[in-house]
Amino acid sequence: MKMTVDREVTLRMAKAAQLRIAPDQIDHMMDSINDILDFCALVGDLDCTGTPDFSWKMKKLPSRRPDAPSDWCDRDEFKASAPAMDGNFFRVPKINAEE
Amino acid sequence: MADFSKRPVVIGLEVHIQLSTDTKLFCSCPTDYIGKEPNSNTCPICLAVPGTLPLLNDRAVALGSRMGLGLHGEIQHYSNFHRKNYFYPDLAKAYQITQYGLTISVGGYLDIESEGGAKRVRVHHLHLEEDAGKLVHPTADGRLTGAAYSLVDYNRGGVPLSEIVSEPDMSSPAEARDYVVRLRQLARYLDVSDGEMESGSLRVDANISLSNPDGSYGTRVEIKNMNSLKSLERALMYEISRQNKVLDSGGRIIQETRLWDDAEEVTRSMRNKETASDYRYYPEMDLAPIVITDDQIDKFRRSMPELPWEKRERFADCFGLSKEETSILTEQKELARYYEDVVSNGAPPSRAANWVRMEVLRSLNEHGLRDIRDFKVRPELLAELVKRVEAREISSTAAKEVLDLLASGEPDLGEAIKRVGAPAGRVTGDDLSALADRILSENPDVADAIRSGQDKKGGKVKFLQGLVMKETKGQADPKEASEVLSRKLGF
Repeated sequence: MKMTVDREVTLRMAKAAQLRIAPDQIDHMMDSINDILDFCALVGDLDCTGTPDFSWKMKKLPSRRPDAPSDWCDRDEFKASAPAMDGNFFRVPKINAEE
Repeated sequence: MADFSKRPVVIGLEVHIQLSTDTKLFCSCPTDYIGKEPNSNTCPICLAVPGTLPLLNDRAVALGSRMGLGLHGEIQHYSNFHRKNYFYPDLAKAYQITQYGLTISVGGYLDIESEGGAKRVRVHHLHLEEDAGKLVHPTADGRLTGAAYSLVDYNRGGVPLSEIVSEPDMSSPAEARDYVVRLRQLARYLDVSDGEMESGSLRVDANISLSNPDGSYGTRVEIKNMNSLKSLERALMYEISRQNKVLDSGGRIIQETRLWDDAEEVTRSMRNKETASDYRYYPEMDLAPIVITDDQIDKFRRSMPELPWEKRERFADCFGLSKEETSILTEQKELARYYEDVVSNGAPPSRAANWVRMEVLRSLNEHGLRDIRDFKVRPELLAELVKRVEAREISSTAAKEVLDLLASGEPDLGEAIKRVGAPAGRVTGDDLSALADRILSENPDVADAIRSGQDKKGGKVKFLQGLVMKETKGQADPKEASEVLSRKLGF
């Protein structure tokens, strides 16, 4: 079934994603989202009869692991690749969800 | 004080319990994050490095199932994980892996005590999910306001949680508190979690509304940030008052999330309540579904220990204890085991129950101990002491002093009795007579006053009797002491 979003839903999505959107950008964003939804509808209409699904991969992979700790990575390497650190903390932009 | 009579109160709780696994839910990082250096318990999986894949911790599934069974829930043969999207840096992936729709346990209930007696609170479901990291705001008061940026410690991120969602069956803050107390007790009995609210192992979010005049549910408000049972009760009390005031003044309740401010004792609006669509749940394709067979469910069921309410019933049946006694003795399973060990070492059940719930708990409190396993008086030693009291070889008063010495580290019961100075055995006959003579000679004014008829109310005789009991450390029979004194005083 084809889905569409209107301006109201577009604004709500932007808010949930913490995106600031200028009034003159709303229509463009709404059209872009609707283009994506059109494409999803197109894919959904494909006839996949007889096409094997991907679930076979899952069947071959372990689905659980034992509860045993391991220490296998070089944390300093990860910290070095982080955009910003403050001591051992990762430094991130403040998000206003609590305000 | 909140007014419960104006509009019926409807409360439902979402309780998050950290599962006592050694490793995180989807990676093999340790879960013992308290006191650790920030981000020392992390790896590429819980830091969401692209290309890594989560792999489910088998024990988390077992513990979640165990808790579900303890709540009389139905363990599901098939459940799966979803991604719950939200833009907040406490999860590195920008989504939380959680169960949604198909959860590991469905239904169930927990019986609580309410003002009107026993009450059954239905459980909607139990699901597994990962915990979030911790944000630190580098401001003087630790609040976000005024911060230029935030700091994240992902040590807690990925620790397994079971979230237990109740139906809105509670109608007062006291019921909500009792529900959490019993849920915590169950988690501890099942070794599922230590359930410490202060350290964050158990966290409660409350949904509360006041009913409409037609009996339908009012608009519900979610309250977060309650770090103790006291906070939970106070936050709910405050919210009942606040919502009543809003409605009384003609206003309307907004569906929102509010944070409890423990210092100011108020709730503050945090954000408008999200709906499920805001989170854009979708199936987590990187994880296989959780499949639990009938054999596994049977195995979980067989491994269940005796549950608190079963123990209470057995203690009442086998030991003839009252409801209050069984309730206190089974509060912690370690305390219940201690009591049973005292009894199995020969102490009479009723006398042992009194000693454990009164003197042992008092002593634990005085020594600042929270766990009976740290108590120096082992059950066999207490049993021996209780048996001596029962045989009237030592008075209860002296025995309490003996217990204090044992609790302070004296390992030998005989030595402790000697140090207390309690006579070995009862003080009676000639010994009691000699003691009465000495007390009368040491208190001639009191004795003369009694002899000259100045003790109409008998207070002075009682005073002398008290001295006898004190001298004998309670080892004399009060009635016999009184008779001996009266005889010597000439009446």
